[in-house]
Amino acid sequence: MKPASPVRKTAVRAAQAGVNLIWLVPIIALIVTLGIAWNAYTGRGALIEVEFADATGINPGETVLRFREISVGRVEAVRFTSDLSRVVVEMRVDKDVAQYIDEEASFWIVRPQVSAQGVTRLDTVLTGAFVEGYWDAEVSQPQRHFVGLNRPPLIRSDAPGTWVRLSMETGDGLSEGAPILHRGVQVGRIENIRISDQDDRVLADAFIEAPHDGKLTTATAFWDTSGFSLSLGAQGLSFNVNSLASVLQGGIAFETLVSGGSPLQPGHEFTVQPDEASARNNIFPSDEGEPLRMSLLIGDSVRGLAKGADVQYQGLRVGQVTDLSVSIDDQADDPVLQQRVTIAISPERLGLPAGSTPEDALRFLEQAVADGVRARVASAGFLGTSLMIEMVNIPDADPAAIQTPPDALPVMPTVPGDVEDFRATAQGFIGRIGSLPIEEALQSATDMMNSITALAGSQETQALPGKISETIDEARVAISDVGAMTTELREAGTAANIGRMVDEAAAAAEAVRLAAADVPEMVEEIDAAAARVNEVDFAAISTQAEGILTDLRAMLGSEDAEQLPRNLSDTLQAASGLLNDLRDGNAAGSLNNALDSASTAADEIARSVQELPQLIQRLQATAARADAVLAAYGDRSAFNAETINMMRELRRASEAFGSLARMIERNPRAFILGR
Amino acid sequence: MSAPLDAAPDEGTHDGPVMTAHRAGLIGCRSCGRVWPEDQHRCSRCHARLVPPDRRGLQAVWAWWFAGLIMYIPANVFPMMRTETFAGLMGSAEATIMEGVIDLIKHGSYDIAAIVFVASVIVPVGKFIAIAWLAMVAGRPATVDQAHTRLKVYEVVEFIGRWSMIDVFVVAILSALVQLGFVASIHPGPAAVSFALSVAFTMLSAQSFDPRLIWRGLPLRRRVK
Repeated sequence: MKPASPVRKTAVRAAQAGVNLIWLVPIIALIVTLGIAWNAYTGRGALIEVEFADATGINPGETVLRFREISVGRVEAVRFTSDLSRVVVEMRVDKDVAQYIDEEASFWIVRPQVSAQGVTRLDTVLTGAFVEGYWDAEVSQPQRHFVGLNRPPLIRSDAPGTWVRLSMETGDGLSEGAPILHRGVQVGRIENIRISDQDDRVLADAFIEAPHDGKLTTATAFWDTSGFSLSLGAQGLSFNVNSLASVLQGGIAFETLVSGGSPLQPGHEFTVQPDEASARNNIFPSDEGEPLRMSLLIGDSVRGLAKGADVQYQGLRVGQVTDLSVSIDDQADDPVLQQRVTIAISPERLGLPAGSTPEDALRFLEQAVADGVRARVASAGFLGTSLMIEMVNIPDADPAAIQTPPDALPVMPTVPGDVEDFRATAQGFIGRIGSLPIEEALQSATDMMNSITALAGSQETQALPGKISETIDEARVAISDVGAMTTELREAGTAANIGRMVDEAAAAAEAVRLAAADVPEMVEEIDAAAARVNEVDFAAISTQAEGILTDLRAMLGSEDAEQLPRNLSDTLQAASGLLNDLRDGNAAGSLNNALDSASTAADEIARSVQELPQLIQRLQATAARADAVLAAYGDRSAFNAETINMMRELRRASEAFGSLARMIERNPRAFILGR
Repeated sequence: MSAPLDAAPDEGTHDGPVMTAHRAGLIGCRSCGRVWPEDQHRCSRCHARLVPPDRRGLQAVWAWWFAGLIMYIPANVFPMMRTETFAGLMGSAEATIMEGVIDLIKHGSYDIAAIVFVASVIVPVGKFIAIAWLAMVAGRPATVDQAHTRLKVYEVVEFIGRWSMIDVFVVAILSALVQLGFVASIHPGPAAVSFALSVAFTMLSAQSFDPRLIWRGLPLRRRVK
């Protein structure tokens, strides 16, 4: 043990030196760990709480908070509010964006949505719902507790554009997100449809995107384009469908129809008109200006006159009826009940310069009344069921003036309206409708029905089917006959179409008659020629000439040649008889006969036509032989000349005949049909 | 020189005072095991520095131990690995060691959960306790039986130390294998590094422990049982 002491001292020193160094390791480890922990602690971001109605699809630790689709935080916990009515979602937001989350920030839960605008956020089916937040880039007093929106906002608050407020009678057909259309182009959306607190009108916020919001002025008119409109007016029936989207979710259109509006202040309220026509009618460039209020005392019935009815001056809308009441005119001897109609007239609509006061308008109207303008009730609309106030010039009106009682509205003089006329007309119209023998017609119809029933019920009628079937059998036979005949006709090469044949057979008959008219002459000429040939009693005529004459005579005397004209004329007669029959309108009855005759006629014609070429050939052969014979005689002898003449005539006749024959041969149908 | 040899048969019987190298004025080389006189500073066989068995050497043990313990805290607090399915669309899960174990139990994989739990929690914690206990009692008076127990504990700690890395291996292998791009991918979390460091530090701690100290506290005289 003793020798160890000095050694131990050095060993201790060495160990101590090592100790100092080795303790650096845990110290460094501690520093590093603490640094990491500090980093994690300071970098974990701010905790914000958002209240939602429910937390569908929110999983603590998984659901993320997104800002412009970038994950900037994560839900850490979900708990209830103290009254259990809502849930509070606690989210840890990344440090670098947490500073921007101030009171302007809004949060909502993004889930898949199926709406009239379409299916949106389908991606969240895969990823699960997430919380989306939106805030601006301004750093202000941070806030850590928020109330989440029930649904995603349709318009991001930083989108350039203008918010306006729309006020309308009803929100029929309108839904959140319905489009705002300008000339058919969607330029914005509607949201936040609600009932006004003050009156029972429906309010909605509309956002019009830049740059289309530049079209808005205070004179812009908005109207409802929801669904479709079906209107029956003086112009007839009109059916308007804007777009499928507006049918589904409604829509509102706007147009700046008149100039002169001033630029909008944000949140300007517009009144939405029910349709475009009323929007166009309702434009008052200076609706802000004070209107001239007057009253009218009307003795007529004002049934059909309603608040908001037009007040027209010389056919132009200048104001509207604002009130209807009853007043007793006690100044007269016999107190009469009169209707007091209060109207509001826009001075500028009367044509007065901008900025005119109601007093200016009153002076203008006083002048007009002095010139004979009176107010009266007139019917409006196509059917005249509604009334309006009309200010018209009555040339021979009794002198009157606008009364201006000190404590009441000025009273415009009135004349009886022309409504009664219309009433009478309408009455007459209705009366005429009423006097139509509808009862009798119905009675007759009933009687007829009864007779039919009785007839159907009788035994004879019930026996009918047997007879009918017999008839049908007969008809079938007849039809097959007709069919056979038609087939024959078709095979004979005649009309493929009986109707056409019938139509054109007249012309054909005419042509045939004209063509055939030459035939007898021709035959006579031939006869004459033959006679002259006979007359030339020339002993020296060779046996050839005899032979020609014999041939000619044989030919002309043959049954063929004699029968030809007769056949033709028979044919023509038959055809014309057929035509007459058909034309007499008895066609249906005599169709059988007619078809028969037509068939016969066609057959005869065809037969005749077949014989014509032979005849012509023979004629030509005869002529040629005669030519040859005559050529044997001298050129200049009288006989020669006469013979040549005769021959020429003969040839001409044969040519005429030939052309006719060729025509017939070329197109036998043309012989009948005339072409 | 013969004292240690003589002591060896004594260990089995425990019937006499234990002769150790220190008591014999000798110093053992920790590298090759050869004993030298105490005044020798360097082992002539393997040229390793000869360190006398001293409780002051326990400072290194404690230093590594503390370092390991410090790193073990983030290893449990931070996520061990991050799993992304469908590029994060189906959710990205980050799980610490204990969350992973709980998840595995929830999924019914009790055996794997047990393995992970043993490898990541039981073994490191046991090691911390064992090393701390060894470092505290080393050099203190002890019976031969106690000394034997300490030696066995030390050997177990030495042996099992490497297996503590199994968790890190799992994360490393998974990160390397499950890189399916869009479909799924696994990335090691900060806890993996911490855990690996913790294991390394505790291994170094265990290595710094001088097992000769176990025998320093043996009684000079045989206790009568």
